[in-house]
Amino acid sequence: MSLLQVDDLHAGVDGQAILKGLTLRMDAGEVHALMGPNGSGKSTLANVLAGRPGYEVTSGRLSFKGRPLDQEAPEVRAQAGLFMAFQYPVEIPGVSNMEFLKAAQDSHRKANGLGPESPVAFMQRVRTLTEGLALNPEFLKRGVNEGFSGGEKKRNEILQMLLLEPTLAVLDETDSGLDIDAMQTVASGVNRFRSANNGVLLITHYQRLLNHVVPDFVHVLADGRIVESGGKELAHALEERGYAWLTA
Amino acid sequence: MADGLAALPAPNWLGEAGLARCRRALDSRLTRETWKYSPLRKVTQALLDAPQTHAPPFADAPEQVRMRRFSALATPPAFKVSLDRYPLAGIAGAVAGDGWLVKVVETPDAPLRLQPAAPGVAAPVLLEVAAGCRVEIEEAGAGLSSFAARVVLLSLAAEAEVCWSRADLGAAAHGWSLLSAQLERNAVLTFNHQSLAEAFQRLDLCVALDGIGAQFNGTGAALAGTGAHLDLQVVVEHRGPHTVSRIKQHNLAAGKARCTFNGRIHIHPHACGADADLSNRNLALTANAEINTKPELEIYNDDVRCAHGATVGRLDDDGLFYLQSRGLTASAAQRLLAIGFLRSGLQGPFAKQAARAFVTQLSAANTG
Ligand SMILES: Nc1ncnc2c1ncn2[C@@H]1O[C@H](COP(=O)(O)OP(=O)(O)OP(=O)(O)O)[C@@H](O)[C@H]1O
Ligand SMILES: [Mg+2]
Repeated sequence: MSLLQVDDLHAGVDGQAILKGLTLRMDAGEVHALMGPNGSGKSTLANVLAGRPGYEVTSGRLSFKGRPLDQEAPEVRAQAGLFMAFQYPVEIPGVSNMEFLKAAQDSHRKANGLGPESPVAFMQRVRTLTEGLALNPEFLKRGVNEGFSGGEKKRNEILQMLLLEPTLAVLDETDSGLDIDAMQTVASGVNRFRSANNGVLLITHYQRLLNHVVPDFVHVLADGRIVESGGKELAHALEERGYAWLTA
Repeated sequence: MADGLAALPAPNWLGEAGLARCRRALDSRLTRETWKYSPLRKVTQALLDAPQTHAPPFADAPEQVRMRRFSALATPPAFKVSLDRYPLAGIAGAVAGDGWLVKVVETPDAPLRLQPAAPGVAAPVLLEVAAGCRVEIEEAGAGLSSFAARVVLLSLAAEAEVCWSRADLGAAAHGWSLLSAQLERNAVLTFNHQSLAEAFQRLDLCVALDGIGAQFNGTGAALAGTGAHLDLQVVVEHRGPHTVSRIKQHNLAAGKARCTFNGRIHIHPHACGADADLSNRNLALTANAEINTKPELEIYNDDVRCAHGATVGRLDDDGLFYLQSRGLTASAAQRLLAIGFLRSGLQGPFAKQAARAFVTQLSAANTG
């Protein structure tokens, strides 16, 4: 059974077709990179997977661990192990990052019939993860993403991924806007996370991330369809030649 | 005219003329405007019908605080408040018959606890804070379901600082109160106000920044549930140069509630370099809540900085999706966003207690 199976997916927003027959299959243990020009539909795919309201599937199939996704509420998908790192993480004033992380973890545990972890054990784990991402522990006390720099927001997404241990992580341009050190920190976070039991879908514009997180497959999305798939060498070819030769 | 108003005797510190002025002002255009969303007649009648309470405003006051009844003073005190704008202040004073003059002559060692307003009309309090004194005042409402009214006229001498925190967390709290403050040079008044309302609550807050550099900071958060009728009327008069005001009020209407906020900033001709910032944000969790917000600006000086914002909205969809995408159910996500919104308007010693009360209320109501 595949981790993720997307068959001939057509989806859009407000009646406007964006994904036009997208097919993608991922197995556990794999890292897939999804590249493609601006506006080709990468974030749309991520949002459709995560169940964002307003994104409608018009035809095709979408299943996660063998179970159809398209009717599920976003929280049910998350509790089942699907995680999306947002291209633009949302600020939530008045809710501390720590409180948010606790609520997120508790909801996952509850869905699995578990009570909340002891606060001490929880805080210890969060602190360790925070240090590993070179995030100042003060970030845990601040409002979720409130006043965080672009790079801090992205690292905060990775922190959530490491805490929640999803089986499929869709990272939407988590490398954009990161300085070289932060990019390495994020990359090593993803490398620590990847295992034989989970999968990562890396949406990126840059070869640089893929030097650190070496993908098993690279796909090119153009105008709502995957127009080319290959191994890691495809990313190098894109870096040299751009997208025009594929979309022409 | 309300029953008993004509026969109400005037205490000597108000005078027949003062009381007559109040009676007239009840019918003025200004009063009708500021009471547009609240039942003035009912409140006036409630004042006239309520018992008087003469308990000292501060229990166990330390030696730095001197309290005298008006009736024990050799000369009647000046009841300094605009009776044209606040006629109920005079009427409440006349109903109470007596009042308290409280002088803070030195910085007290501990916060002063204002006695919760008892049912009825409390004797008005004139609170004078001497130059350079720092006072913290804590006022925890008793949450009584019977009508309670209180008038406090506060004056801060130069460099005095007052931090006043009020929590009305007993949902039944029901009544009207006026806090009117006058600030001299570099005096600072901070007023934190949190309220959990399921009944009629009206607060009139009037701050006169008279002295150069005087500053007012007002922060408030209110959770209004079904049956609530919350009416906050704030007036800030920037009279002195380089005076500063910062007002932030977050109101959340969780049921069939009515929330009114009127924030009026008046910058007088001599207030050059004045700096005013007022923000009122309102969220409605349900479609049958009624929210009225009216920012009013009057500026008679060009050399000022003034920001004024009022918004009415619903919970942020992006925030809801973000939380749900992390596994929170829709209702847990709504609750967390709502509490975050309220918390952003919490400040001071009651902030934690208020946040807990809000969480409990939101969970119990299952409003989201
Ligand atoms: N909520 C929306 N409302 C209207 N149009 C949308 C919405 N979301 C996406 N689109 C449109 O769909 C197309 C694909 O957008 P999408 O964000 O998926 O692209 P992308 O591949 O992620 O691009 P980028 O590399 O710039 O992030 C764009 O033309 C975009 O304007
Ligand atoms: Mg995108």
